Amino acid sequence: MANQGNGNIIQLEDGWNNVIKRGAIDVLERTLDDGFGTSFEPKEYIRIYTTCYDMCTQRSPYNWSRDLYQRHGETIEQYLRNTVLPALQDKTGQGGTILLNELKHRWSNHQIMNKWLKKFFTYLDRYYVKHHSLPTLEQAGLQRFKEEIYQNVKEDATAAIIALVDEEREGGIIDKTLVKSIVELYESMGMGSLDSYTADFETPFLEATRAYYARKREDWITKDSTPDYLIKVEKALNEEKVRVVEYLNPASEPKLRRVVEDEILQKVQMNLLEKEGSGCRVLLANDKSEDLQRMFHLFSRLDSGLQPMANIVESFITEMGNACIDKRQTRLDSGEKDKNDDPEFVKSLIDLHEKYLGVIREIFASHHLFQKALKNSFEEIINNDVGQFSNAELMSTFCDRVLKSGGEKLSEMEVEQSLDRIESVGQRLLNQRSASDDAEKLMIAKLKVQCGTQFTSKMEGMLNDLAIGNDTKVEFDKYVAKQPPINLSFSPQILTTGFWPSYKSPEIVIPENMTKCLEMFKEWHDVTHTKRKLTWVHSLGNATVRATFGKKSYDLQVTTLQAVALNAFNDGSTLGLEELQKSLNLDLETLKPLMHSLSCGKHKVITKSPASNKINSTDTFTANAKFTCNMRKIRIPMASIEASHSKARVDEDRSYAIEAVIVRIMKARKTMKHQQLISEVLSQLAFFKPQPRVIKKRIEALIDREYLERSADDQQQYNVSFLFFHVCIAH
Amino acid sequence: MEISKEGDTFPVDIEVAKMSELVRGMLEEDADEEDTTEIPLPNVKAQVLKKVIEFCKHHKSEPMTEIEKPLKSPVMAEVVQKWYADFVNVEQVLLFELILAANYMDIKPLLDLTCATVASMIKGKTPEEIRKTFNIANDFSPEEEAQVREENKWCEEP
Repeated sequence: MANQGNGNIIQLEDGWNNVIKRGAIDVLERTLDDGFGTSFEPKEYIRIYTTCYDMCTQRSPYNWSRDLYQRHGETIEQYLRNTVLPALQDKTGQGGTILLNELKHRWSNHQIMNKWLKKFFTYLDRYYVKHHSLPTLEQAGLQRFKEEIYQNVKEDATAAIIALVDEEREGGIIDKTLVKSIVELYESMGMGSLDSYTADFETPFLEATRAYYARKREDWITKDSTPDYLIKVEKALNEEKVRVVEYLNPASEPKLRRVVEDEILQKVQMNLLEKEGSGCRVLLANDKSEDLQRMFHLFSRLDSGLQPMANIVESFITEMGNACIDKRQTRLDSGEKDKNDDPEFVKSLIDLHEKYLGVIREIFASHHLFQKALKNSFEEIINNDVGQFSNAELMSTFCDRVLKSGGEKLSEMEVEQSLDRIESVGQRLLNQRSASDDAEKLMIAKLKVQCGTQFTSKMEGMLNDLAIGNDTKVEFDKYVAKQPPINLSFSPQILTTGFWPSYKSPEIVIPENMTKCLEMFKEWHDVTHTKRKLTWVHSLGNATVRATFGKKSYDLQVTTLQAVALNAFNDGSTLGLEELQKSLNLDLETLKPLMHSLSCGKHKVITKSPASNKINSTDTFTANAKFTCNMRKIRIPMASIEASHSKARVDEDRSYAIEAVIVRIMKARKTMKHQQLISEVLSQLAFFKPQPRVIKKRIEALIDREYLERSADDQQQYNVSFLFFHVCIAH
Repeated sequence: MEISKEGDTFPVDIEVAKMSELVRGMLEEDADEEDTTEIPLPNVKAQVLKKVIEFCKHHKSEPMTEIEKPLKSPVMAEVVQKWYADFVNVEQVLLFELILAANYMDIKPLLDLTCATVASMIKGKTPEEIRKTFNIANDFSPEEEAQVREENKWCEEP
């Protein structure tokens, strides 16, 4: 389109020299050099713009777009080459700050010049640049600066910045604004990427940082104690972080941090941890919480940086525990009696555990590695037995005792023994000998925290059963009241299979009046719960028997088994052990301690002949008519049929755990090799490590029960059987 | 304040004037925007500038919808709001002067509207009709014309 405004065609040299060069470029260069600021009056501005516009819209051959675009670049190039570069070279060698200041000044001038030229020539950007896919005016200007100036001064500038940063690291005050504006220059030179910043500044900067901190490390590590060293590390890391915020590109933050961490932490990690007189162990021994906490936070920054520290903590706690064991050993050696309960020793272990549990929670932020360290160390301590009784058993007895008497608040348990404990707890609850339900609940809550839910769900189930039991009792009593009266009071307790340990229940012959009670309850129960199967566990029952000896009558508090046995002597008969065994249908193993409790204990309500402290199969028994006692209410204790801590029982419970794991794995994998399965099982079992042959036995048991089958083509491979799928679905 | 080629002044709000990238680029440098600035526009006639300002003012109250390309209809009223369709319903000479002014002052919506209007005048017409519409003499020789037709055969096929 012809230029409509001015009738006359503008010749290239005419328009360039008279308007653009004289009106714009000369003015720009002059005002930039004198530094009083650059601006153009609207009239002047429009005159230059219009000239450029006309020169770019005139018809060929008078369209000067190409020439103007070229001259725009040349103008900038000339100025940079003839004015800016000499000025900078002049300042090189006069000190970093002087060079940087000049560079900052020249860079800001360039931005002003580039901006104005872009405004005047903007018509080129709109059409000519677009149609020819050229760099925009602004990019072209930046490109010129990069080629003419940046490439020539970048190394000196980087060195100058590094010197300033090092100065600041040593406590000096530097011109941060200056550094920041030069950093911005590096960023701009990437033309939209960070490449120039990274290659020309960041890489050498990080190298210099590495060298700086390597020097510091050598210096500090010889002079300072570990806590002092770490204080310096903490300070350095903070300062570098602030440095990035203040004048570097945020992308440098992780890299800078990594370099510093690597130089002053990673490379001397073991030196610091094991430093004589101030290493991790010394800090632990002296309870230096603050120093330990700092150490923890700093090493947590490194990849797997906490493992070595956790190892030291583990061996330290183990050592402390072993010291307790040594003390016990010394006491035993000096002739103290070896009992299955050693409260002083157990308490020392509990205190130790509690102390380091607190340390791990407060100082080590409950980090899993440290929890594991505590667990491992106590596993080792607990299994380091001296004397006749295992430490685990000592603990178990202790806990049992504490809960029974309800005096002291129980503080800690050991994870390793959880299975045992479930059993002990179970017995205490049933026997209603627990001093306080709350104490038991408290313990369960604690165990839950320590062992995880799968361990305590059983115990919660137990407590739940007991709670429901109270309601059941009320309901049942209402029912009984409507029935023909019986001369016995009776209160059953329902236990859910699975929550409770498996109890042996002797098939004892129950006297008729007691049987009535059982039937009555069964009738009532079957109506309300048709789907449930009721099995009586007489060995867990208790009874109060009103017995009359001569003129005095006594309330005897006994177990159900004892009560049934006493009932046999009600008619005054004399019975031999074998007769008793037959009429009661009890095996000797149960009957012997039973009769022992009645005839050889403190309260001899049954007379045994011949009198002795041992039950023989030839002994005969009769009611002791001459029995007297000062108290009316007498408790006749009987040794529990099931020892509170029995290895066989634990093994049995563990075998269920192993099977559960096998089934879980096979359910997920469907088919697996023998060795693979064994190692997978071992890795999934958290609280104990069974022998591979034990696991093999469980696998065989599962095959017998058709949960698994051997692969047809590989005997060492197992598949999930078809039946098992049914089982899974049914559940 | 905008001043036309002939020296007539037109007072305009700063926000309206800034529809022109040329004006905006110039005012950017002025810290004192309260002051009235006189902007000479030597390439724009008063009659055209008046229309341009009318367009800019209206655009502030009812922004023009983006014009779809290719044009969905040769009727401008179906391409853009009624006000804008009426706005470009002017003599050809004025229309072309508006295009030049929009280009010079760098007012994109006005340039879009005026160019679309010209395009709508071409759309669906034969070369002869187009020549007639824009009063263009056919300066092709018959050979040249045949060659052009051959080269652009694709666009004549249904």
